[in-house]
Amino acid sequence: MKNVIEWIKNEWNSYSKNMRIALAVLFGLVALFGIFAIQILFWGLGYTDMNNNFAMGIWIIGDLGLVALGGGAFFTGFFLYILRVDKLEPLINSTVLLGFMCYLFTFILLVFDIGQPLRAWFGYSYPNWGPGLMPQSMLTEVVWCLTFYFLVLCVELIPIPLKHKIVDKIPFFHYFGHYLHKLMWIMAAVGTFLSFFHQGSLGGGMWGVLYAKPGWFRPHYFFLAIVAATAGGTSFMMLIPKIAGRIMKKEVAPKESFMTLARISGVMFVFYLIFRGYDLYSLFNTYAPLADRSYADILGGYYGWWVVIGELLLCLVPIVIFNVKKLREQEKLHFAGLVSGVAAISLSKVEAVLHGFSVPNFSWKGFTAYNPTVQEWFIFLGSLACMTLIYMAFARFFPLFPHLEKGGHGEGEATA
Amino acid sequence: MEKLERREVILMAGGAVAGAAVGTVFSGAPFLGLQWLVEWTQDQHVPAPGEESYLQGKCLLCPSACPISVRMIGNRAVKVETANNGCYRPQLAIQMLYHPERLKSPLKRAGKKGSGKFAPVSWEEAIKDIAAKIDELRSGGKAAEIAAINGAGAFASAEVLKRLVKSAGSPNVYSEPCYSSLSAAASGLTQGQSASIYYDFENADFILSFGARLVEGWGGDPGRMNRAFVDWKRRGARYVQIDTVCTRSASAADRWVPLNAGTETVLALGIANQLIAMGRRSAGANFAQWSQIVINDYTPERVAEITGVGVDAIKEIAAEFARARNPIAVAGRGASAVSSSSVEFAAIQALNSMVGSLGRRGGVMLADYSGLGDVALNAQAAKGLDDFIKNGSAGLLFINDANPVHRSVYGKTLADKMKKDGMVVALMPLLNDSAAYADYVLPTISSIEGEPIEARFKSMHPVDALLSIAGAVKGLENALPWKSFKDVYPLIGRLNLRGAGNFAFPVGLLKDYLAGFAKKIGDKKYPLALVPVEAPMVGDGDGMALPYVLKGLDGLTLTGSKLWVMMNPDTAKQEGVSEGSRIDIESSRGEIGSVKVHITKTVAPGAVAIPLGFGHEFYTKYAGDKGVNAKEIMSDDIDPISGAADWWFTRVKIS
Amino acid sequence: MSGHVAPKKKVSDMKRLWGMAIDLDKCTGCGACQVACSQENNMPIFDDDSDLPKRVVFLDLMKVTNDNDRDAKFGDVKVAYLPKMCMQCAGNDPDDPQPPCVSVCPVVATDVGDDGVVSQIWSRCIGCRYCQASCPYEARVFNWWKPRYEGSFKEGLNPDVSIASRGTVVKCTFCSHIWKRERDRLIAKGVTDINAVQYTPACVAACPTGAMVFGDLKDPQSPVYEEKLKRDPRAVRLVHSIDALRDTNPAEYERRTKIKNYPNPKVWYLTSDQWLREKLSGFKKS
Repeated sequence: MKNVIEWIKNEWNSYSKNMRIALAVLFGLVALFGIFAIQILFWGLGYTDMNNNFAMGIWIIGDLGLVALGGGAFFTGFFLYILRVDKLEPLINSTVLLGFMCYLFTFILLVFDIGQPLRAWFGYSYPNWGPGLMPQSMLTEVVWCLTFYFLVLCVELIPIPLKHKIVDKIPFFHYFGHYLHKLMWIMAAVGTFLSFFHQGSLGGGMWGVLYAKPGWFRPHYFFLAIVAATAGGTSFMMLIPKIAGRIMKKEVAPKESFMTLARISGVMFVFYLIFRGYDLYSLFNTYAPLADRSYADILGGYYGWWVVIGELLLCLVPIVIFNVKKLREQEKLHFAGLVSGVAAISLSKVEAVLHGFSVPNFSWKGFTAYNPTVQEWFIFLGSLACMTLIYMAFARFFPLFPHLEKGGHGEGEATA
Repeated sequence: MEKLERREVILMAGGAVAGAAVGTVFSGAPFLGLQWLVEWTQDQHVPAPGEESYLQGKCLLCPSACPISVRMIGNRAVKVETANNGCYRPQLAIQMLYHPERLKSPLKRAGKKGSGKFAPVSWEEAIKDIAAKIDELRSGGKAAEIAAINGAGAFASAEVLKRLVKSAGSPNVYSEPCYSSLSAAASGLTQGQSASIYYDFENADFILSFGARLVEGWGGDPGRMNRAFVDWKRRGARYVQIDTVCTRSASAADRWVPLNAGTETVLALGIANQLIAMGRRSAGANFAQWSQIVINDYTPERVAEITGVGVDAIKEIAAEFARARNPIAVAGRGASAVSSSSVEFAAIQALNSMVGSLGRRGGVMLADYSGLGDVALNAQAAKGLDDFIKNGSAGLLFINDANPVHRSVYGKTLADKMKKDGMVVALMPLLNDSAAYADYVLPTISSIEGEPIEARFKSMHPVDALLSIAGAVKGLENALPWKSFKDVYPLIGRLNLRGAGNFAFPVGLLKDYLAGFAKKIGDKKYPLALVPVEAPMVGDGDGMALPYVLKGLDGLTLTGSKLWVMMNPDTAKQEGVSEGSRIDIESSRGEIGSVKVHITKTVAPGAVAIPLGFGHEFYTKYAGDKGVNAKEIMSDDIDPISGAADWWFTRVKIS
Repeated sequence: MSGHVAPKKKVSDMKRLWGMAIDLDKCTGCGACQVACSQENNMPIFDDDSDLPKRVVFLDLMKVTNDNDRDAKFGDVKVAYLPKMCMQCAGNDPDDPQPPCVSVCPVVATDVGDDGVVSQIWSRCIGCRYCQASCPYEARVFNWWKPRYEGSFKEGLNPDVSIASRGTVVKCTFCSHIWKRERDRLIAKGVTDINAVQYTPACVAACPTGAMVFGDLKDPQSPVYEEKLKRDPRAVRLVHSIDALRDTNPAEYERRTKIKNYPNPKVWYLTSDQWLREKLSGFKKS
């Protein structure tokens, strides 16, 4: 016990002042998360600003964002293990960890969001499977896909802590980790397949099937969400290591790894922009008129036009930067591209949830607004703080960036 | 038996544990356990089961006495059913019956008056004390100091209380101003008979309502109005609603004629002008002088300017009114709460007189309800309740199912007087703003108790409570010879209709009124007019104690504890307020605030429409801290005939 | 782990198809339906029940007005009160009735009954509110707080309707427990054809002006015979203006009723006011 406290003291003293402030803020957020979590779980969702009209809020936006951005893990894994783009190898550990955490916290936020967390397992025991092969309810699909993909990510994640120099000395763990890693391409394939589905289901399908709601109903919404995840997710998988590198003042992965992923991301953003354009076009010309609405009835209100235009403008930034070699190789522009790309996809999720609920159902009602309460904010921010702390711990104590351990431009077999 | 190796034992034990674990999971027991956990953590109430039965009875909330059937589970009443003929009120009976703040026994004041602190006492003690007070006043020659205020909805107990107080020797029995009391005062003025004006809605074919919101609880008998309304639709009778606000009645009407706040009398004169132009005359006394005023001063152009109703519309309405076979012009602005001046009643009744609707089928008659017989007294009472509050005083005041502190514009005055004056006795099922100033509060039953449901706690039918008091007073034994409310009901409430009698035009009063009106609308300091509206079921405030009533409020009546007022976009622009702005409203009497503004074209320019019935200070926690009471600043000019304040429209400014 | 593989419920197989018609010309907005509904269905009682967006109430009394229309003028505007409950959507396919809310529920807490009524099992619901998101009529409400019934208010609770837990979605079921009650009564008397039993929901029974009528949409004798309602020029259904196309553009009407995003509600509103028909049925600016 004493040793532990001593160790923590030493660890704390070894950090710079800025790092200590950052850690204090993060731990503070986590503590508030804990306090408000108790309040919400024991006394209900009345403390949120959600209501019968605005049935879902910031936590669902968080879920959609996390799944879309975390989905970058599957796409990166797909390129590395299936298409054998070995240049991505140095980033894969960080990618897997990010994917794992995004899915874990999607679950956690979902548990807060449902009114009966103790009945959460009903999703497994009474699934709305419907008569066909595919689940009838998109949320059933989300629950099952999320579960399986989460398990896959667990398998993908385990080798990373096993690589820790102390653990690695134990022969059992060494071989266990080794053989798990051999299985990785199967895991990557399964993960890609599963992620592909629930990307669509949580990100888009869940909304696209609400056929009576003109703000959402679009059959292709499912596929749009997949493209969004591939574009935004890959940017996210670069953004976080970039930030980590800036804080650690080290090159966490070789430049060509980033450039390869940036090119992929850039191309996917082009696809996304085209698809999104079609999406808006069909909304205005096909789906809104079916519900007797004009585009003005759908895209007004507090979260209407400016969110959509903001999203499209932000999309343009990575498209230009990532697809032009001269631009993407400039460190600052590259970083700006990453931030804009992640922001664009996050904004598209804000549009889906916040604006979707804001659209009035009745012609005599106006657009509604939603203002998250303290409880909602801190549970949301606290989750992000938890994720940051876990990532920091991995970066500090486990071989998250094998490139650093090699002390050079390690490639290929770095984590094998 | 072969000896088992240690290794094998461990393996077997491990296998058994693993098997048991798997078996348990697949048996579903953990899930069932979780399910129990779910239920246990929720701690949900399960309604007690019981045998189902139905009790038949009558709703005694109004003279219609609709038959009701109460669904019982064991000895619990769970639902009131009516046969499509009543109003919403029987549906609220269960809420009232099981209201957790129902008074459980008679209460005696324990703190300062108005503090709302009470201690329970026995009925015997309360009755003895009250009877002793009556004895004391009577023996001291101060019998006239006994006074009573009856609620507009109390009818059997109102009759008994009237008889009790009058037999004791005091003329001071007042009713909260309502349609029947105001119209009775007006018919006393114009027809010389103090009986309320009865419109034959069942047979009329053109109903011209001057701000009387007929389907919103108007006239104290919503069941009758609902039936009449359906009948109009079926018969094709035409219903024209003149109102400053597009209320529910205005929407249900065939035509809504919007007019500027408070100008109903002027519009009636304008229509009279047109009727005269069409050659219609009245045989009433003083018609010549009256028509001189109408012809000279109330030309359609002038009336249009004052009322905001177009010249064409005035002519159209007059023509339709004259053409109809059985037209009636309805006076008595308001819904549950009514406020019209006697002159306004006269001006509108004049229209009926000019088309010959007075005293005929499908027209207008006079009505009174059978009572317990009057007691002749020499002493003179005040003109009406507000007059009494302003100028009178009481050594013993009964408040029977009324809430004048909240409902009268003189509520604050009354509260102050009650603090200083003698004993106050309140009879009601729930403590309200007025009962907070009482010395004794006697718990009375809700509408379905007594019959068919047994009375809860120690509450009593108000008639029985009053009879017990009378029985304890020396010398009143014979004045109220009945044993219980069951003996009283057959005697009262029977409708007696009579012809309208001779109509006399109150020319002098009209001149006074018009002079006052001109001064009022010329007030530059207060540029806007405050007019009341009523939210569904809230009425004049009684409904606020019942949570299911609050569930019916829309988001533009009350949000949080803030009340919304309505304003025309033009007014809002001129005053510089926008949707959702918080404002205070100030009249010459004071200021209320803050309220939120809803901008809507359903309100006339220059008017601010405010819902009545909110802003209770003492009326269960459900009504607590909800909105403001507009009566606090409403106009307090007392009508010289009815003695009630004419609060309908008040000059205000907003900030 | 049994999946939900129920046989399809065809509308043609249903013995009853309950529906409602509300004549807004006769509605005075008195609120009797809303109180009767709350009393019958054990609506929770909180200290402040005027808290509109989180209010738990099956039947909402909505105020509708055309005064937010750009060309509306003072004097021409009107208001109407609209009793709005669950519309019990039938979906566009009579061979597979799919209300918007049923297919989205992840735990089969809501389903279409043999009488076309959309049921909701309080105790199955996990409170994800996906059905609320899918409902175009805002008919579903969520128990944001634990339902409360202070003190003696508990005495007035109806044992036929179970009390929901905090964090579950609840909704109007056309008072189908009353149908069960009526059928049980007749079974006790020896009647075997229980589907012949009719009933009246609490709101309809309480309407003082007879503005609300209830019955079997398939029964030609019923006041809500669907074929008759479809031909009624006063009839309109909420949010969708498809009904108005029936006479003006039959081809488009046919097409619209076939496409998926048509919930096909079973509650009809009747009004002779043109503005109100337009307001109720759609967003078209007149």
